[in-house]
Amino acid sequence: MSWVQAALSQPNEDVFDEDADELHLVQKEWKSTMEKRVKEGYRDGVEAGKDLSLQQGFNRGYKQGAEMMMACGQLKGTLSALLSWCLLNGHVSALLTKTNNLLDAVGKYEERVLKYVNSIYPQPHPGELLDSVQDMGLNHTVPAESKFAGNETGRGCENDSELSENCCEGNVGLDSFQSDSWRTNEHMDSEEPTLTWLKKQAACLGAELGLSLDILEHVQKLES
Amino acid sequence: MEAAAGASDMFDAIVMAEERFHGEGYRDGYAEGSHVGVIEGRRYGALHGAKIGSEIGYYLGFALTWQCLLHRAAEEKHSKKIKTLESLIGMIQKYPYEDPTYDKLQEDLEKIRGKFKQVCSLLNIQSDFRIDTERSPLTF
Repeated sequence: MSWVQAALSQPNEDVFDEDADELHLVQKEWKSTMEKRVKEGYRDGVEAGKDLSLQQGFNRGYKQGAEMMMACGQLKGTLSALLSWCLLNGHVSALLTKTNNLLDAVGKYEERVLKYVNSIYPQPHPGELLDSVQDMGLNHTVPAESKFAGNETGRGCENDSELSENCCEGNVGLDSFQSDSWRTNEHMDSEEPTLTWLKKQAACLGAELGLSLDILEHVQKLES
Repeated sequence: MEAAAGASDMFDAIVMAEERFHGEGYRDGYAEGSHVGVIEGRRYGALHGAKIGSEIGYYLGFALTWQCLLHRAAEEKHSKKIKTLESLIGMIQKYPYEDPTYDKLQEDLEKIRGKFKQVCSLLNIQSDFRIDTERSPLTF
């Protein structure tokens, strides 16, 4: 009975199949070896390609991020300066609140710019980009600008106490005008300020504080 | 002899095939890696740049506004403050904040931060007022 034991001890080998397709086995082995080579090559290639392009991409992204954020920062710095000036001069609290609110609005705008910066790169779909740019008031094409002007003219400084609320309402109209894909997920549509609007608000605030226009001249020059 | 030469050719063919397959994979991988690298690099870069742009912009807006406010007052006692503000503004305007290849990017930023602190203390503005980190998605 020794042949039975021999058969059982090698369960993986088909001892009865004398016609095993050796050629087939060799082909299979060859194929898997070559697939391995392709995979190895792919991995090496990915690494090499990435190494070379990371810095390049970083430099490009850095420049764009820095330039886009500069205007936000300047607006924030300006408002903070006004706030500190108000505090030092013992201005009425209503104006302080207003300045603070405007600073919050700039913060929100900054968040949006940041989100936008983050969203550009994963799927740089030209159509979406254009929409986002329009939405943020970053573009300077005639139709978008004229819409802003239409909504904001005369809304500027007309009502002191409800200044920001008024202008926000103006923005709601604007938002429903320009719906687009990336913003539909947002829940704060009505509170999304644009740079144009913020600049206008800053100018209004300056006027309310009794400051001449030239003090905020650098703000009006801001562009994203 | 002929048999030996044949075996050698065969061997070469196998080695070459391995190299060829490796090369094919490499080409595809390289293209993919370059693509991914640019995207990843850009994202990191954009965030980093946004941070510095926002911070530098903040200092500039702050300094320009205070400069105007003090000029308006036109008082003698402000001359030191104005001078310090002008120095800060000059530093910022010379600072290539948007150039990641500038080798003193961090070094100069520290100097600007220092000057900004000096300005704040001269203006008698409390340090906790200066930068409201709660408000900013980017903390300096």
